[in-house]
Amino acid sequence: MCFVNAILRKKTIKLVDFNKLMISLLSIKTNIMKKFICILVLSFNFALFAQEQLPSTTLKTLSGSNTTLKEIAAVDDLIVVSLWATWCVPCKNELDAVAEVYDDWVSETGVKYYAVSIDDSRTAKRVKPMINGKGWEFEILLDENSDLKRAFGVSTVPFTIIIKSGEIVYKHTGYTPGYEDELYDMIVALKG
Amino acid sequence: MNKLILAVLVFFTSVAVHSQKTDEKNSFDKIKERLNVGFESNSQWYLNDDKTGDFDEDEKLRANSYLRIDYQISERFSSGFQLESYMPEPLLNYSRLFDKEIGLGTFYLNYRTKKLDLTLGYYYAQFGSGLILRAWEDRALGANNALRGGKIVYDPTSYLRLTALYGKQRKGFEVSDSNIFGFETQFDIADALQIERLNTLQLGLSYVGKQEDYSNETPNPNATVKIPEMVNAFGAQLDLEYKNIYTNFEFIYKTENARLNNFIPNIVSFSEKALFNGNAITWNIGYSQKGFGIGSTFRRLENMRFFSEKSALNLNNNPTNQMSLNYIPALTKQHDYTLANIYLYQSQPGLVIENYEFPLVKSGEIGESLDLFYNIKKGTLLGGKYGTKLSLNWSYWANLKSNYTDPSGTPYFVGDDLTYETELLNFDNKLYSEINAELRKKWTPKLKSIFTYINFSYNQGFLESKGADSFVNAWIGIAESTYKFQGGKSVRLELQHLSTNDDARNWAGGTLEYFFNSKFGVYLNDSYNYEDSKNTENTKIHFFNLGGSYTKGSTRVGINYGRQRGGLLCVGGVCRPVSKNTGVTLNLVSTF
Repeated sequence: MCFVNAILRKKTIKLVDFNKLMISLLSIKTNIMKKFICILVLSFNFALFAQEQLPSTTLKTLSGSNTTLKEIAAVDDLIVVSLWATWCVPCKNELDAVAEVYDDWVSETGVKYYAVSIDDSRTAKRVKPMINGKGWEFEILLDENSDLKRAFGVSTVPFTIIIKSGEIVYKHTGYTPGYEDELYDMIVALKG
Repeated sequence: MNKLILAVLVFFTSVAVHSQKTDEKNSFDKIKERLNVGFESNSQWYLNDDKTGDFDEDEKLRANSYLRIDYQISERFSSGFQLESYMPEPLLNYSRLFDKEIGLGTFYLNYRTKKLDLTLGYYYAQFGSGLILRAWEDRALGANNALRGGKIVYDPTSYLRLTALYGKQRKGFEVSDSNIFGFETQFDIADALQIERLNTLQLGLSYVGKQEDYSNETPNPNATVKIPEMVNAFGAQLDLEYKNIYTNFEFIYKTENARLNNFIPNIVSFSEKALFNGNAITWNIGYSQKGFGIGSTFRRLENMRFFSEKSALNLNNNPTNQMSLNYIPALTKQHDYTLANIYLYQSQPGLVIENYEFPLVKSGEIGESLDLFYNIKKGTLLGGKYGTKLSLNWSYWANLKSNYTDPSGTPYFVGDDLTYETELLNFDNKLYSEINAELRKKWTPKLKSIFTYINFSYNQGFLESKGADSFVNAWIGIAESTYKFQGGKSVRLELQHLSTNDDARNWAGGTLEYFFNSKFGVYLNDSYNYEDSKNTENTKIHFFNLGGSYTKGSTRVGINYGRQRGGLLCVGGVCRPVSKNTGVTLNLVSTF
């Protein structure tokens, strides 16, 4: 199956041939493993695409009003959005690390950092005391039923995106110590 | 169905290829920027294990995969679907309702303007905190209880939001046999009346109704009540924030429904001599300012299990909580460390009547959780050069005190005219208590540590249905440090110890993790029970994991070899039982 993917990428065959090939390949009695690989390969054909538009998912502010990333991006040009949760240790490590340098980030690049909590009702009430207790100064939004998480197709947090002029220009899953420096370099380059 | 799915896939792929062939970069870009694709695959190869025995089920290699595609058709319309594959069978302990090699899990069409948001097809929704309604997805738990039907969200003004919905709830690849109606209004009083002094004053009112036919194949001649076709739930919620103080109050009332008879564990039958209503109260209050935060949550639940099919109330048949309409997580602190996840409190919404060695009425729970966060300033004695972050949590949960009566005089588990009365505020029947403290300390720009102390008391007898109250009293100490080298390299060492003389006694554990750069990391962790105890299943055995992960942008690949402890796997306070297993897992996640 994998060669289908390769061909697709190289765009060396005509559309009609491609469809015929797909259908004939898929109609062959294949065993389960082959089917599985087939799904995998098909999915990766979608890597040709990349979402750039912002979802219009409703998010809550800490004071309870509704907003969307679209509305936020209409005001600020350069934004970092990070999905996190109060129970996620790497997320808190990331936010702690950013909080320490956030003043510099803002004064150097004018970037705005939005930390969107995906805490559900189990832990959502912990968000407000935690962010103040930790002294985080970036913006906090709530995604209590994981609508934004789903709209981004994310399964694990932390998940970070950079938005420039209303479009998603970068996505990243996970946090490793020191990653905030890479993120900052990217912000500086985009500011450029 | 498979042909339909293939057609959809071929269509999308064709669009991609076609767009490229025409060399019209603009139209390709247009499609590209409007499409969002998320893919996740979790597969496991189950192995035989000298210590724990052979894997004796049929399929050793299994995978759960999800492909979600959303497309913005125009400014106002969007559409999408999710394909799911459980091949050749779902992973161990997932619900067998997910029984297709490839199936269409959900699909929707959405129309959205500034004031109106309309969805046809499958949708997710939450009213209030979810105590009355929450349709959501959690793949790690094998939970997807989306509703299929229609949902309208209308904002006539900036301070009013109205939501109305109708649907049938997802049940594996089918829908459950009932109709769900819902209505919610959120009114922002502070905004409407221009009350400047208040940060927040909001009122929410909600209704959820379930209509389900009940037909008993063999009518019960002794029945004195009719099992209701309609079960309604009403909710009210008030949020208030003034300066640095916030509070939130929520009340739910659920109308009468039949009680499950678990007279014979796996057979679904209902009491037809008495009906029971349910209710829930939660109250949060907190105060926070820069560097300090405190929050308290009180919750009381009575008979609050709410399913789209009442047969789902029999959790022997439904261990993964399929078809739940509401969301009732345990309100204890959610821990990330392995040893802190052995004795987990699960919420007790009731109503369950058990009879093993002696009668037990589980009508609900009552309890309290308190959090405190404090940032010790830089330059002070305890704060040091970089400051120290402290968080404390205390929680206590009890079984609702209830007094039962059995008018017929027959032993209550045979005659089913048993009724009960609960006391409003009685915390005597302790189920769980915990106190924990976490301290985060940065020593140098390169070295950070986290210290955690947990002390808990867990009523194993009650919570694991083993009869009389018997407590596991234990404390856990955890220390972890991360050292950051140049170029994104870092190493993390974590050591844990659980100390108790109860159940399986002491455990020791640890993790060593090394990142070569921000993309590639490897880890080894182990939990070892090193003392003899009555709990032979968990005695002198290593539960270890060895693995690595590679991340590039939003794609992550992880591989793991290890032996998993049997018990509860919990995500966000909802748990599913997992059996002990050994194997190799491969996780793949990507969004494009």
